Amino acid sequence: MTWQTFFDFSTMAHRHLVFVYAGVIAIHLGYLGWIARNWTRTTRPHK
Amino acid sequence: MARSSTLRTIAWFWLAASIAVLVVGFREAIFLAPTEATMGNLQRIFYYHLAHAILSLVFPYVNLAASLAYLYWRHRDPLRALSADALAVASAEVTVLYAGICLATGMLWGKPAWGIWWAWDARLTTELILFLLYVSYLMLRRFSPTGQVGVLSAVLAVFAGIDVPIVFMSIRWWRTQHPAPVFGGDGSIDHAMLPAVFWNLAGWAMFGIFLIGFRFALERRRQLAEQDAALLALEASLETPQ
Repeated sequence: MTWQTFFDFSTMAHRHLVFVYAGVIAIHLGYLGWIARNWTRTTRPHK
Repeated sequence: MARSSTLRTIAWFWLAASIAVLVVGFREAIFLAPTEATMGNLQRIFYYHLAHAILSLVFPYVNLAASLAYLYWRHRDPLRALSADALAVASAEVTVLYAGICLATGMLWGKPAWGIWWAWDARLTTELILFLLYVSYLMLRRFSPTGQVGVLSAVLAVFAGIDVPIVFMSIRWWRTQHPAPVFGGDGSIDHAMLPAVFWNLAGWAMFGIFLIGFRFALERRRQLAEQDAALLALEASLETPQ
């Protein structure tokens, strides 16, 4: 497979393949971003 | 402070290594693995689906171990119990993430491969139950009004852990629409596909461990901030003239 055929949206199978690969990465980055956002918003405890 | 700085450096290296392994895994899965004979390129969903499916059965055991540790330490060593509780919530969230992605990628694969989004077969149903158990675990933690959240959620985690071997064995115990095991047995995977399987499994495992570690650190930071706030309130109340 090449980059061109990876982004071939003409068939349902290929659309689902791209949705899975892009969707999984987006969901993981979203969760990571949510943790990072809460990390910066939570007060650092006193030592 | 030096320990915290070292841990932060290790975390950055671990994240960088995870991303590097995931990039190799992506290349193996999309460009190097052979095209499957019957499903064609659609089968490449398998490399993400399988990694998330396996890890959604591994991370619950981290949650189970941390929950049992919490129950053991809650009277003997409350500070250590708090750490165990933080690890339990971190692993439960990542379990929900991985099980949810496993279900979603399975449905996106099932529609073009089987012609249906969902089948109420044993593997899919038990995985859905696992996902819902950990969602209920998180909702219990979020909405329980009592001061017994740690104990209640730890007990629920023990019951949720029982579903894990049932999910794993479901395709051996019952006839299912879901394919038979791909490692060993009659449905063994083509050896040329193994590098893509293992690179993706390693990459998502490393990234999952990073997520659990980061979420654990956030929960510990929250717990310590709460303790600080409680101590400050106590000091302020003692200073108030009676």
